[in-house]
Amino acid sequence: MGSGRWSTDVYAAAEHYRAATGQSAFAYSDSGARRVHAALDPRDVFMRECRDSDEHPASTPIVVMFDVTGSMRHVPRVLQAELPQLLGRLTQQGRVTDPQIMFGAIGDATCDRVPLQVGQFESDNRMDEDLSRIVLEGGGGGGKRESYELAMYFLARHVVTDSMVQRQKKGFLFLIGDEMPYQQVKPDEVGAVIGDDLRQPIPTREILAELRRKFEVFFILPTAASHGGDRQVLRTWRDLLGQNVLELDDLADICETIARQVASSDDEPRRPQLSLTARRW
Amino acid sequence: MAEHVAVVDLGYGDAGKGTVVDALCGRGPVRAVLRFNGGAQAAHNVVTDDGRHHTFSQFGSGTFRGVPTHLTRFMIVDPLALAAEAAALGNPFDLLTVDGDALLATPWHRAANRRRERSDRHGSCGMGVGETVAYALSSTEAPRVADVRSPARLRRRLAMVRDAYGFADLPLDDVVDAFTAFGKAVRIVPGSFTDRLLREGPCVFEGAQGVLLDEWRGWHPHTTWSTTTFDNVAELCPSFRRLGVVRTFTTRHGAGPFVTADPALDLPEAHNGHGEWQGAFRAGHFDAVAHRYAVEVCGGVDELAVTHLDAPGRAPGLRICTSYRDTDRIVPGPPRDLAYQATLTAALTRATPAELHRPDNWAEAIGALLRVPVTLESYGPRAADKRFVPAGVHRPERIPPVAYCPV
Repeated sequence: MGSGRWSTDVYAAAEHYRAATGQSAFAYSDSGARRVHAALDPRDVFMRECRDSDEHPASTPIVVMFDVTGSMRHVPRVLQAELPQLLGRLTQQGRVTDPQIMFGAIGDATCDRVPLQVGQFESDNRMDEDLSRIVLEGGGGGGKRESYELAMYFLARHVVTDSMVQRQKKGFLFLIGDEMPYQQVKPDEVGAVIGDDLRQPIPTREILAELRRKFEVFFILPTAASHGGDRQVLRTWRDLLGQNVLELDDLADICETIARQVASSDDEPRRPQLSLTARRW
Repeated sequence: MAEHVAVVDLGYGDAGKGTVVDALCGRGPVRAVLRFNGGAQAAHNVVTDDGRHHTFSQFGSGTFRGVPTHLTRFMIVDPLALAAEAAALGNPFDLLTVDGDALLATPWHRAANRRRERSDRHGSCGMGVGETVAYALSSTEAPRVADVRSPARLRRRLAMVRDAYGFADLPLDDVVDAFTAFGKAVRIVPGSFTDRLLREGPCVFEGAQGVLLDEWRGWHPHTTWSTTTFDNVAELCPSFRRLGVVRTFTTRHGAGPFVTADPALDLPEAHNGHGEWQGAFRAGHFDAVAHRYAVEVCGGVDELAVTHLDAPGRAPGLRICTSYRDTDRIVPGPPRDLAYQATLTAALTRATPAELHRPDNWAEAIGALLRVPVTLESYGPRAADKRFVPAGVHRPERIPPVAYCPV
């Protein structure tokens, strides 16, 4: 019979693995960056494009934007670890044509340095690079609100998809967070973050209506976040998105959850799935 | 080598599976080494021709040759021990895949194992492998490798293990942290990955421990909670060659019957010593009766590797035992009958060797006694000390000098 020759110290093991896997997945953020990475800066972007190509003739745009403020606790880091598998999961299902994925992050424009980060639509692992460049703000204001409406504004006005232009098919947007949007899109924030000259505020409900012409919009609330299961947050989003509000108990299921929604929306009338584990609320 | 080969120890472990697997990996292309039983308590020593030594525990013994290791669902994976082993090897995580269904050994399982061993000496290694298996039999929520990718589930399941054993001194958060880090370093794959490897090229199945320690076929209760025969391989792979490994002398590490044990034999052991949890390493004459039983309960063996062929030259007192005083055959009982195995244990505790003799040609004699052709002879720890013998039993022309490597 053999023997235990290798150290089983739990702290040494954790340290070994961290050393072996190299830098943190949020390399850019963990290197101390507190400014948006140039590749993810929404400022002065004319359009983020999701185009068809010879290789991908029928692109399906899929946007995943997650809240990176402090209330999300460890959720962004877990998402960062899980999301690179999303493309594989989507292709594996086989029911989504040519998925192109864009990642982004949402903060709070009233107080954060990095309130909005938006990557590019990619169909290969360049999307992982975008993920690794996301700055984890970790701040956020009080009042259970973040600037989701600013992200909606950007996606409504600065994204063009061949899916819609050529085939009148909507893309998919997944907002992952635990707080509510502000009630309107504010011109000064749009000017500072995106650079557009907006004459008057747009009610959040209106920008959402505009956005929903291009995207099927979902909101995913991870129970592991601070406001997981919060009734006010859930009510607000249900009021805005109806049954497209999902609670997620296990972050490891994020790719599966997204893939399922995308696949089931594709051909048959969609039966929205409220939760993976039939929670009551 | 076109066929898959399964390497199993026909004794009490320590016969040299590691060195045999390494030699097989050096003979021709091998797609992967698959581990199919046991866990971190395995200790398979490999010494390269240029003197590099490593005690393989969870990594396969083909690692020095760049052969990937796959830990199948039958493995008990210990992420903590794996970290240390990987570091010693230079973190070859690119060579490692782990089945998501494999059980995870936790520090609480290990602590429970040691607590039990203190009160009732059983001969285990103190790594918690048996405890992990026992826990999994009692709970459907036993932590498995795939759980390390689901923080909420991992935490819940680890907390259940901690609570079940009542050890509170190790913070749950720290274990979750280490296990999550493990999940980021290793590639976790589904069960179908095994089939893919088997399709892609010849594979070597590396057994751990030995058939005489098998959970169902060993001398109960001095056994391991692990199937050490070819049974698990047969579940993973439809067709393979069965390669049994024996030494020219029999050894046992840990408690339990050992009929041919002889403390007078002077056979220093390079890589085995007195283990804190196993007790002394015991050596004895080649026990043909027990090894024949092992071949029988394995359902036959296609070929034999005989190791330590250099030992008889150093130990003039070494003999082969062909029968015990009251019998020359240990009769296998019905499958999975521990009561029967316990009666064997009682009988073997009383048994003494009857016939001992010293053959001229050890490999030939052992092959003949077990009625299995010897296809591999080993005269030392390095791959260069091995001789493949395709035609059966042949002594090499020149025996290289003994070259044990200091640990």
